[in-house]
Amino acid sequence: MSEQQDYEPRIVAFLCKWCSSAGSDLAGVSRIQYPANATPITVPCTGAISPMYILSAFNKGADGVLVSGCHIGDCHYIEGNFLARRKMQLIMELIEFIGVEPNRFRMSWVSAAEGAKFATVITDFVNDLKPLGPQDKLKRAEQA
Amino acid sequence: MINLQDIRDTARDMLAKGEVRTVIGYRRGTRGMLAEPAFITDPAQADDLVWNPTCFHNLSLYLVEDRKFLAHLRQNPGAPIGIVAKGCDARSIVVLMQEHYFKREDVYIIGVSCEGTGVVDERKLAPHLNGFQASDAVFDGDDFVFTTAQGEKRLPAREVMADRCLECRIPFPKEHNLVFGEDKTGRQLAEPFAALKRFEAQEGGDRWNFWSHHFDRCIRCFACRSVCPMCYCDECVVDSITFPVTSETSAEEKANRIRWIERSATRSENITYLMTRAMHLAGRCTDCGECERACPVNVPIRLLNNKMEREAREKFGFEPGASIGGPSLVASFLDNDPGDFIR
Repeated sequence: MSEQQDYEPRIVAFLCKWCSSAGSDLAGVSRIQYPANATPITVPCTGAISPMYILSAFNKGADGVLVSGCHIGDCHYIEGNFLARRKMQLIMELIEFIGVEPNRFRMSWVSAAEGAKFATVITDFVNDLKPLGPQDKLKRAEQA
Repeated sequence: MINLQDIRDTARDMLAKGEVRTVIGYRRGTRGMLAEPAFITDPAQADDLVWNPTCFHNLSLYLVEDRKFLAHLRQNPGAPIGIVAKGCDARSIVVLMQEHYFKREDVYIIGVSCEGTGVVDERKLAPHLNGFQASDAVFDGDDFVFTTAQGEKRLPAREVMADRCLECRIPFPKEHNLVFGEDKTGRQLAEPFAALKRFEAQEGGDRWNFWSHHFDRCIRCFACRSVCPMCYCDECVVDSITFPVTSETSAEEKANRIRWIERSATRSENITYLMTRAMHLAGRCTDCGECERACPVNVPIRLLNNKMEREAREKFGFEPGASIGGPSLVASFLDNDPGDFIR
């Protein structure tokens, strides 16, 4: 088997506690099959995600970062996802600007009832990441 | 044309009447033609003030320093500070007031319009002087006149002006108590974001080559942070030595503090630093260009800030430093912000 086939991307997924996190849970209890590449990190709201989290995830070796939250209008804190939409757009543009593949960062809206959508989002993301290979642009070098 | 004597007279009168406690302006520096920041407290010193093409410093930085100093002394500000501000500096002051760093009445803005010109870029000027150092620089209409050992050298301003000034759309301090010079808002010496567009014209793989080259060279001296009026946090998230240590801080606490990035000047940490800085300045940077000028290794930091500024403008219709009561970029939103990128 070639090295390319062996490669499994590591995804850091920031999931909103009120929706996407429950959505991933639903995907699990519904026994929907999806790749096990994502490491979920539950956050209170997508609006609470600092762009620094994303940079830091890449810095510590993530191959892709997913931010997933409630659909517009469904935020538990009324306006958190509106704020996230702006911030994530900016960080996405900035990552792309310095020459990192735009497919390494993804944002999605997944509600608590959308287990199947969550599975699709992860599957698509993994499929898109595999051809890109390991992310070594922002990754911190191993310490000797 | 700005009459320098007017600025001096204003400063002298205001200091004599006690209307301001200090005037922050520019005076002749000790190296060649360069101006340096001046803090005038005595009316008799007001004649030290100068206004020439080397007045590039963004003096609003010192309003921040003053605030910090007063907080340290636990004193109230008293009389306002007078400050000589160009268009970009005045916008920085507005952003600081938006963020409630100080109040409008704490500062007396003596605006100076850059009119049809701006400040000089030493890196562009050097090749024109045949190796000689300029000992003096003055505005003259749309030209700059430099004095060197060879005699006077007249150069069209747009050949030696800093990129940021060429691209500047509003070379006039809108927020001011008093202003000298004509309002030439809307002048266009170069297309806005011209440097950014030039960079973007190169494609794909080149971008990473370009940036990795520059990120490798960054020595993390933090000059860009020090010179920036917007980088006023006492604790800087990217720099672990700024985290406060008191006698109460235990060794364990120090060891377990979150260090988002390391202080080592390696490529990955430099990227994270410069990108974090660009994010923190999004919607706040008024493109005074001081970070790029201060950089000892010529990292094109302005490109990152410009990119954020342009995205904010095009996607969210946001203009930094537009009005004191205005919203901040990342703490506000519009219902129709673009969201096509979200799956």
